[in-house]
Amino acid sequence: MAVNARRTANLLALCVVLAVCAVVGIAVGSVALAPGDVWGALVHPHAGDVVTTIVWALRFPRVLIAVLVGGALAVSGTMLQGMLRNGLVDPYLTGGSAGAAFTIAIAIVLGAPEPLFAGFAFAAALGTTLGVAALARSGRGVSPERLILAGIAVSSLFAGLTTLVIIAWASSTASLQIISWLGGSLAGHGWHELGWAAVYAALGLALAVVAVPALNALRLGDVRARALGVDLDRTRWLVLIASSLLVAAAVSVSGIVGYVGLIVPHVVRRLCGSDTRWALPASIPAGAIVVLVADVIARTAAQHQELPIGVLLSVVGVPAFLYLGFVRRRTA
Amino acid sequence: MIEARGLQLGYRDRVVLRDVALTLRPGELVAIVGPNGSGKSTLLRALAGALAPQAGSVAVDGRPVGSLGPAARARSVALVAAEEHADDDVAVREAVALGRLAHRPWWRWSGDERDEAIVEQALARVDLVAFAERAIATLSSGERQRVWIATALAQGAPTLLLDEPTSHLDLAGAYATLDVLHGLAADGAAIAVVLHDLNLAGAAVDRVVLIGEGTVLADGPVADVFRDELLSRAYGAEITVLRTGDGTLVAAPARRARAGT
Repeated sequence: MAVNARRTANLLALCVVLAVCAVVGIAVGSVALAPGDVWGALVHPHAGDVVTTIVWALRFPRVLIAVLVGGALAVSGTMLQGMLRNGLVDPYLTGGSAGAAFTIAIAIVLGAPEPLFAGFAFAAALGTTLGVAALARSGRGVSPERLILAGIAVSSLFAGLTTLVIIAWASSTASLQIISWLGGSLAGHGWHELGWAAVYAALGLALAVVAVPALNALRLGDVRARALGVDLDRTRWLVLIASSLLVAAAVSVSGIVGYVGLIVPHVVRRLCGSDTRWALPASIPAGAIVVLVADVIARTAAQHQELPIGVLLSVVGVPAFLYLGFVRRRTA
Repeated sequence: MIEARGLQLGYRDRVVLRDVALTLRPGELVAIVGPNGSGKSTLLRALAGALAPQAGSVAVDGRPVGSLGPAARARSVALVAAEEHADDDVAVREAVALGRLAHRPWWRWSGDERDEAIVEQALARVDLVAFAERAIATLSSGERQRVWIATALAQGAPTLLLDEPTSHLDLAGAYATLDVLHGLAADGAAIAVVLHDLNLAGAAVDRVVLIGEGTVLADGPVADVFRDELLSRAYGAEITVLRTGDGTLVAAPARRARAGT
């Protein structure tokens, strides 16, 4: 069918662009590498030369972390927007990221081992998201507008508490670590952190895959989906737990990276439609591309200093959010 | 078959309907009529298992509807709810294919060849094959209603419950929709349909359930239910039943006295 052919072509195009971005991501940096050298190092990981060391010890894990962070946040956004049938929802706005960030700030202060960060982040993201959903309950269901308002309020609360932690430990290196981490950065992480985050991301993705048929039926409306046999409560739990796992995976290795989960689902729906069977898989390369490109810019835009990727994405994300929230709604 | 006994329905402390007994048999097309807010849709939701009764029971093919899981319920009873917004880009065939959701194992994202054949049959049954690739948002109200009926057909449930499927339709569209339902009943489906238009019920179905005063006021053939005193009582307005040339019963409001006349 023509529609599915177009969706397949767009999905393949996203994968090709992702592959190109990944090669660029490995090649670009303080030591520029030729694409041929990158390829050579990737296929001969035990060559032992400088290029191989740069690729395998520094750049390749960083690119994979970017793919994980972008893919996880985009899948989480696609699921949340599908479940609540509201294009203004993302894991950042529903408080999950802020709750996870606060918990990791506490973990840094307490000197907790980094492999535990993702676990703390998951518990906090799930707890915060459930708390926000409870605040947003009106009548028999969760109102999307109330969810966003409650999410913003709870996010502000956690941002305030995180600032308090930074001030309280201002004289220690922990506060600097928290500040750099809050800005969102893929620097300083390697295979070890990637491995832990990948476990959480894989679990979240597995639950997301299970939720796809129900999310697809929800495109017809809650009442119709229920009539077609969808267990709405089970679906909501699945999506909230999957989203919390994915957010935890992303936050534990990148800090706060907002707007990916908000903007990417819109782009994906334009490319592949709102059919969750296509939108969810397409979210992974699309989200990965956004974070990879942002990371390359963050690494290369300023000399001798890396820009925080979270701040960089906010600069693009805020106008995009305003466009989606006001302009498109007015023209809909 | 659906059997409801001693039903009391409502929301929280409010009772909407009480002492409701209703049996829906295979091959029947039953219209549920009554004034606004009388509880027609509430009754339909309870029959579908979407609303737990405050008292009494609903059984589907002998099993309490509350004991069925969401998928088992969807395979037994198809509920076509009143108009609800669907995403703009959902294509007709996609929507109808979602009717097969309760027949698939949880790990499958799409149906198999048998599901596809059932979807094509459902589309053909409501004359929507030519519209299969169109987005639902581009269809007229009547065409959209046919999509939801086809989705219910794809569900493969022996019982169909429809909430005002003829609202927003002109007379020809309403008759076309009811013709489809008559055909399904003739094939053995048990169908209950909430109708806002009393005269459409009188003209197009054989059995009418009249809701009023918080209960079922009458249940039977059109001639038994379309009586002046029953309809006037249910609707709280003076109604006269007339018989047209072809024997159709029509509920006509009595002429109101106007100022100066």
